[in-house]
Amino acid sequence: MDTVALPILLPLAGASIALLLRKHPRLRAYGALFTMVASLLFTGWLYRNVLNTGQALTFNAGGWPAPFGITLILDPLSGIFILMAQSVMVMALIYTLGSRAAVINYPSFYTLFLTLATGLTGTFLTGDLFNLFVFAELLVISGTMLAALSDHAYGTEAAFKYFYISLLASIFMLLGIGGLYASYGTLNLADLANRIAVQGPQLLFLPAMALLLVTFMIKGAIFPFHFWQPDLYMTSTTPVAAVLAAVVSKLGVYGILRISTLFLPGQVNIFQPMLLLLGLIGVIYGGFSAIGTHDLKRMLAYSSMAQIGFIVIAIAWGTAESLTAAVVYSFNHSLIKAALIMLAGYVASRTSQKSSSFARLTGTGQAVPIAGILFFIASLALAGIPLTNGFISKMLLFGSGIAAGEYWSLLLLGIASILTLIYTMRALMRIWWQKADQGDSQTSTGDSLLAPVLLLCLIVMLGIYADPLVSAGLHAADWLLEPSAYISAVIGE
Amino acid sequence: MEIINALAVGTLFALGIFQILRRNLIRSIIGVILLGNAVNLFLLASGAYNGLVPAYTTEIGTRSDALPQALILTAIVISMGGMAFVLSMLYIISGRYQTSDMDEVSHLKH
Repeated sequence: MDTVALPILLPLAGASIALLLRKHPRLRAYGALFTMVASLLFTGWLYRNVLNTGQALTFNAGGWPAPFGITLILDPLSGIFILMAQSVMVMALIYTLGSRAAVINYPSFYTLFLTLATGLTGTFLTGDLFNLFVFAELLVISGTMLAALSDHAYGTEAAFKYFYISLLASIFMLLGIGGLYASYGTLNLADLANRIAVQGPQLLFLPAMALLLVTFMIKGAIFPFHFWQPDLYMTSTTPVAAVLAAVVSKLGVYGILRISTLFLPGQVNIFQPMLLLLGLIGVIYGGFSAIGTHDLKRMLAYSSMAQIGFIVIAIAWGTAESLTAAVVYSFNHSLIKAALIMLAGYVASRTSQKSSSFARLTGTGQAVPIAGILFFIASLALAGIPLTNGFISKMLLFGSGIAAGEYWSLLLLGIASILTLIYTMRALMRIWWQKADQGDSQTSTGDSLLAPVLLLCLIVMLGIYADPLVSAGLHAADWLLEPSAYISAVIGE
Repeated sequence: MEIINALAVGTLFALGIFQILRRNLIRSIIGVILLGNAVNLFLLASGAYNGLVPAYTTEIGTRSDALPQALILTAIVISMGGMAFVLSMLYIISGRYQTSDMDEVSHLKH
């Protein structure tokens, strides 16, 4: 079905048109928003078809049949991740429209934003390992340029660190791809899974898998590879930081989900304890770092690391329930984290220095109590309190942990949830409760609150009526545990 | 031919890893370039030496695999874009921080 390529092609076309509209900033901005909304609606429609029929939609680029050409595949897993990525990007564009940051007036801002969307959608949609590398490069280059276009004085430094790490990651990913090609003679994910199951692990199989796992861990900022992340989220412009923290880091989660179920079912006892250990360290270390930090956006970056740790632990348990929890958790966390970062950017935009450090922000929230209420709800969602979608994902996660009998990990996860409450409430107290220091001036105008309000509506809605999301997560988990369905959808019988 | 290629990949990898561990920013970028070339040669070895007959001829014999060459071509183009970008950022950073020492490019720590 040719329409599967449209979620990639729409943002790409929008990006090229946005380049031509140098002289028309309003048209460029609304055009970008329109493109993203169209792409999101279209993905939603395709994904509905996938769920209704239970069949994945595939598209062979150029008409070459599956193991030889490049395959795009929209299955229950990639569908939910694309939906998540594009909805957060739509919200980020809505935030951008109401933002007062200087950098969004750069002519290339919206173009880069749309190529970022193209790269992200492409990595989720592709069924070919090398194509995944190409889209990941597109994503990294546009993401870095967006981060380097920053009002922050040291934005270039953070972008440089991120790009340097990503460049090394992509070199090692290419090495892993070469190893797999030398061993199995194919790069199509489904064909590879098939051949790995038939031929067993070859000499280069485990090194190649290790390289791919490390690459995805770098993209997802999972514990030992997280060091580039706090700087990047602290310095980039708010909508960019929201997209990077909420959805670009989910690329790592997606990659690990994909390769662990497709390629590594025979190596479960090697990689699952490793993922579990890294996830647990990340959860605790991220929680304590978030408590110890001096900047609101930096705090949210460390919190992101902890929350991704929760998802990694769910993947490490590897049961159907815990994979459901991982998918639902990824979706919910992206909404919550985007809302929190936008609220952080909102209060930071009202300080005279446009800084998000706690020293500058103390007391600035008193003029905007409504943002405080929104931040409070979002923090509750992050900690997993009922009536928010965070509760649904935590409930699924803990339920699957109890079913798997992982009580020690659950104890640590409980501690980490309390850490979440501690750092978000501390931020809330400092910004909205304490009196402002004398002499710190603040402006009366700031960014628009529309996007965080919309995101919070979604958060509460998905907390009260969670059934569609949970059943989509169940679909995705069943699909993941049944690699033969994926293989037959791509290659045919 | 395969021996020469294997030795070249190994040497380039060793040199590249050695260079990216240096503190000098420019040397470490050169290390990244070397690593990229090592990986390209490795990709070439992953399939191109299976047969000695060109891919699209009527000659009889085992065909050489054309796919690794396509992969390398793509990888070279991508790494060229990435290199241009990283060098331009390096230019901005060396101007703004007045240093080429990696440890001094750390104003974001606090």
